[in-house]
Amino acid sequence: MLRRVLCFLVICAVLAVSSAGYAAKAPSPMANQPGNRLLAVVGKTAGASVTPGGQQLTQIRWANHIDAVTGAGRLRLVIDTTGPVQASGKVTVSPTPRLVVNVKGAVPGQTDTDIDLDGRIADSISMKSEDDRNTVITVELPLMVEEGEYKVFTLPKDIPNKKPNRVVIDINQPLPPAKFSFTAGLKDKLIVLDPGHGGSDPGAVGLAGNREKTVNLAVALRVKALLDKAGAKVIMTRQDDRDVFGPNASAVDELKARATIANVKKADIFVSIHSNAATNRSAEGTSTYFYQKTRYDYLLANNLQAGMLQAGGLKDKGTLSANFYVIKRTTMPAALVEMAFLSNPAEEKLLAGPQFQQKMAEGIVRGIESFFAQAATKGGEW
Amino acid sequence: MSNRSRYIALVAILLIALFAAGCEPDQAVTGQPPAVKPPEKLAGPPAAETMSVTVYHATKDAAYLVAETYTLPKTDKPVQAAVEQLLTGPKNPELIRALPEGTKLKGITVKDHIAYVDFNDKIIKNGSGGSAGEIMAVSAIVNTVTEFADIYKVQIMVEGRKIHTLYGHMDTSEPLSRSEKIIKKSL
Repeated sequence: MLRRVLCFLVICAVLAVSSAGYAAKAPSPMANQPGNRLLAVVGKTAGASVTPGGQQLTQIRWANHIDAVTGAGRLRLVIDTTGPVQASGKVTVSPTPRLVVNVKGAVPGQTDTDIDLDGRIADSISMKSEDDRNTVITVELPLMVEEGEYKVFTLPKDIPNKKPNRVVIDINQPLPPAKFSFTAGLKDKLIVLDPGHGGSDPGAVGLAGNREKTVNLAVALRVKALLDKAGAKVIMTRQDDRDVFGPNASAVDELKARATIANVKKADIFVSIHSNAATNRSAEGTSTYFYQKTRYDYLLANNLQAGMLQAGGLKDKGTLSANFYVIKRTTMPAALVEMAFLSNPAEEKLLAGPQFQQKMAEGIVRGIESFFAQAATKGGEW
Repeated sequence: MSNRSRYIALVAILLIALFAAGCEPDQAVTGQPPAVKPPEKLAGPPAAETMSVTVYHATKDAAYLVAETYTLPKTDKPVQAAVEQLLTGPKNPELIRALPEGTKLKGITVKDHIAYVDFNDKIIKNGSGGSAGEIMAVSAIVNTVTEFADIYKVQIMVEGRKIHTLYGHMDTSEPLSRSEKIIKKSL
């Protein structure tokens, strides 16, 4: 024991001495210890902190991006510079919408700096220097982009990744003006109900064996009965346990078929009814998803969510935007409700029972009704 | 006495004390005393270089992703290494693996800043099948792979083919970019 303690003290002393002032003269032996090796850390290296000026803008790159979760579109323009610059941007409307970016301390380089874009979020970009010191970059926009929907910033030189100083312009895809006009009430509304999954696709399966396709259909049929009674016209993507596209359809054909029914019939709204699932059995609650084609998608989803929360009283997981196929590819306001988690044993029990199914159906119908009431007040180019 | 000679003297004294104490390697806290290492070892070939990768796992409520950073042996296939780490699951017991058990990486190719990440069919067959689980899986793959500066977008593949949807909700038919909104900075 004494030997161990002594040994430990000796090592401590050696370490203390060697790191106290000699490390710079002789390489510290510590550096060779496995587990103590200093990593060749990959990280952002800040650009040299010199006063901006005398730089050149050398190259423009651009790419459209789709957010993996929300499906929201974004254009990113990256302009390489020979050194640090300052940049700021502002959207102006007159005579046409454009984003004007002022770059301080750099002029356009020799490369061709006027380029055409694909017109999805921006039409073209051009650069001009008026005083041999600064540059004005103009991005022509097909639609007005609101404050907070674009961002202009600079990135420092990134040596490990071999990237120069950059000016970055991010522009979120703006919403096109919606051309719907709705009236209040359920009477004569054409509503497409889509019970999720079906046929060869069971959807999620609970611990007790309840299948999502069965629960979704049971609730959808109850929603239909309530809507019928209120005078609405209801089209179901499926009325029984089947694949909508055809037996053993591919997943994408199946989704496409459901969206197509609503698009061909020119439905007023599309509501897809689902039960949620996650790997962890404790995940719980009610959520509603929308894909923001126009502002009406959120309005519908939020009303459905409020209706279900009021009816079912489960945890509020929110009205969320998601890159979901059927709500993205339908042309009318659409939402996908996730009533509760089939992967959660307590919620599975609820979902399988007629009482909760009826409550959810009533909540969904109340949500649809309040959507039309609110949508009726919008109109025009909202 | 110069600093250097004082250092040498001190080290010598300590070494004598050390050997007198009969320090055995297995008793030492950090192995051999550093001073006995021959200095020429420092100039030798670089042994076991490491790299740092960031991987995303799901929160228990399946609502967010949280980053975990790992130090892995350096490899010329760092993206593969990161995805393998994603498939291994989280260190933190408060986090949940975003991809189902049994999911294996079949390969990754990168072209024009787009990574084509191919998994076996267990990613679908063993999945929860729900929207929340699907969002966790897709965003964890995309966010983990786009941690690499030269990868802008990710196309998810299963058994060598592009898939249009994983569990029947999300549209994965085109390459996707990272989602910052789904990331929770801390638990």
